[in-house]
Amino acid sequence: MNNPVELKNLHIKAGNNTLVNNVSLTVKEGEIFGLVGESGSGKTLTAKAIIDLLPEGLTYTADKIITAGKDMLTASDEEKRDHIGKKIGYIPQNTVFYLHPLIKIKNQIGDGYIQHMHKTKKEALEKAEVLLSKVGFKSPKTVLNYYPWQLSGGMRQRCNIAMALMNDPKLIIADEPTTALDTTVQKQVMELFKSINEEMKLSILLISHDLGLVKRYSHSLGVMYAGQIVESGCTETVFNEPGHPYTRLLIKIIPSLKMKKNEPLTEIPGFVKDKDRDSKGCLFYCRCPKAMDICKEGVKEHTDDTGDHYYRCNLE
Amino acid sequence: MLSYVLDRLKSSILVLFVVSIITFFVLMIIPGNPAQLILGTDATPEAIAELSSAMGLDKPLYQRYLSWLLDLFKLDMGKSYVYGESVTTLIGRSIPVTFSISIFAMAMAVFIAFLFGMLSAIKKNSIIDYFSRSLMQLGTAIPSFWIGMVLIVYFGVRLKVLPVSGFVPIDRGFADFMKSIFLPSLVLAIGEVGTLLRIVRSSMLDSLKQDYMDMARVKGLSAGTIYIKYALRGALTAPLTIIGMQLAKLAGGTTVVETIFALPGLGRLVLTAVEHRDIVLLQGLVMFITSTVVIVTLIVDILVMFLNPRIKSFHRGE
Repeated sequence: MNNPVELKNLHIKAGNNTLVNNVSLTVKEGEIFGLVGESGSGKTLTAKAIIDLLPEGLTYTADKIITAGKDMLTASDEEKRDHIGKKIGYIPQNTVFYLHPLIKIKNQIGDGYIQHMHKTKKEALEKAEVLLSKVGFKSPKTVLNYYPWQLSGGMRQRCNIAMALMNDPKLIIADEPTTALDTTVQKQVMELFKSINEEMKLSILLISHDLGLVKRYSHSLGVMYAGQIVESGCTETVFNEPGHPYTRLLIKIIPSLKMKKNEPLTEIPGFVKDKDRDSKGCLFYCRCPKAMDICKEGVKEHTDDTGDHYYRCNLE
Repeated sequence: MLSYVLDRLKSSILVLFVVSIITFFVLMIIPGNPAQLILGTDATPEAIAELSSAMGLDKPLYQRYLSWLLDLFKLDMGKSYVYGESVTTLIGRSIPVTFSISIFAMAMAVFIAFLFGMLSAIKKNSIIDYFSRSLMQLGTAIPSFWIGMVLIVYFGVRLKVLPVSGFVPIDRGFADFMKSIFLPSLVLAIGEVGTLLRIVRSSMLDSLKQDYMDMARVKGLSAGTIYIKYALRGALTAPLTIIGMQLAKLAGGTTVVETIFALPGLGRLVLTAVEHRDIVLLQGLVMFITSTVVIVTLIVDILVMFLNPRIKSFHRGE
């Protein structure tokens, strides 16, 4: 049992304001784990805590953070950087500025590989060519000679993916990898992830606000709301028997092709709470259609017999 | 790329042409007859008229301008009446002095500014950052003539390790040459380092905040690669432009420092020319200094283009 990610009771604070409250999640070997939630629910922060990339000014505490087999809480900064560089591929949300605009692709795609795997630049470029053609470039050699600003958003994202795969990582963290892409490219990228996952037995932590996407591609998932994981488990179970009213609502509002013309899209009224995220009561109380008085005081946690399906709600 | 260079070259030539017109005509309308100045107040009107026609002063202005311009192309800028030598010779003799102190001063300023600018951006609010920020304030606030005097008194008079004044050409021994330019260059460097340090620090701070830095960190790259290849690479454009402007400024005249250290450089030549109304010398100097500024700026612009390839493609209209 060597899970690529084990996270227990993560809290992230900005000063006294809690942003992420008590998040625990496990990504198992070889699975795609989908982390879904609205904007501002703390998905990206959670992922950044796993790879030690939290922005300045935020502090975190956790009982356990194990990333690709290394305890992040006891490792020194140097060890963490080295380990993450070697074992983890990161695919950022916004593709535009994650590649250095003034450095040619060939001079930045391989530098992690050269450093961690002790390879020459030539070997790095050969590997980069293979990966670039794998992510769908027909003439990888030309791409290598481009500056990032000479590529389109989708091409840049594919470069990012190729770059993340350079060191044969154990885990890929993909933060909304398809937000900037149109639907056809989105499908290509997701199919690519799926095939990488199957061929290379690579685990992927997929962060997304698109529940349809997560339903289709992930094995397990966690639903985040206002800095908490409100429900998690095997994708199939969660979709078939959603426990939390938020999850039920989310599933209900996935647009489908069967929709009638002019039928309005359903929505959940209100906004994600951004204050008092550390209160004992249910954070979804204000928007929940089934809210009860006891929800203000506290929340019951449910876990099924296998210990896989988890949700927190006062409803039985 | 070539079209960008040609374009810049064209505008440089235009600037020089306009400057030549202004230089010539403005200095010509200044009251006072050069022939009278040369011959003194006791001269007879006949002598003045004779010298005027010998100097071509009786011809119409535009003719004089054209012949002056033509001579300029032949690098003949006339004869200084104060020194009695050709302006080209005088300038040629002053160049090594001014250029060596300006270049050495900029080398010092660049080294200090990049070292402390980068460190203070990386370790923001640390002791080194406070030190750099004081250096910025001091460098900008201290007048150069004062710091020059202090350095002369300390190193030249009290410790007697460096000469108080004068210039030793490089062919008379490198050590003595360096000794003679060290203090003046240091004074110039102190004057320039504050501005440059500020620019390096703020460009670095900006570059460190960019997303590509997150990527570099997540790739686990070594500190050298992260800070030099990624951060510094994204922070070079503004400092380089400032360095060009500062270098151009220094190359065109370091009058105060040259005066304090009694160095026979361009700045002193300008001062003499102005004091004695040596119009021929002054015209030559203005043209020379402007050309230096224009050429240095041109070189810097081309360098910036190499560092920031986007300029190239914007120029091509991509």
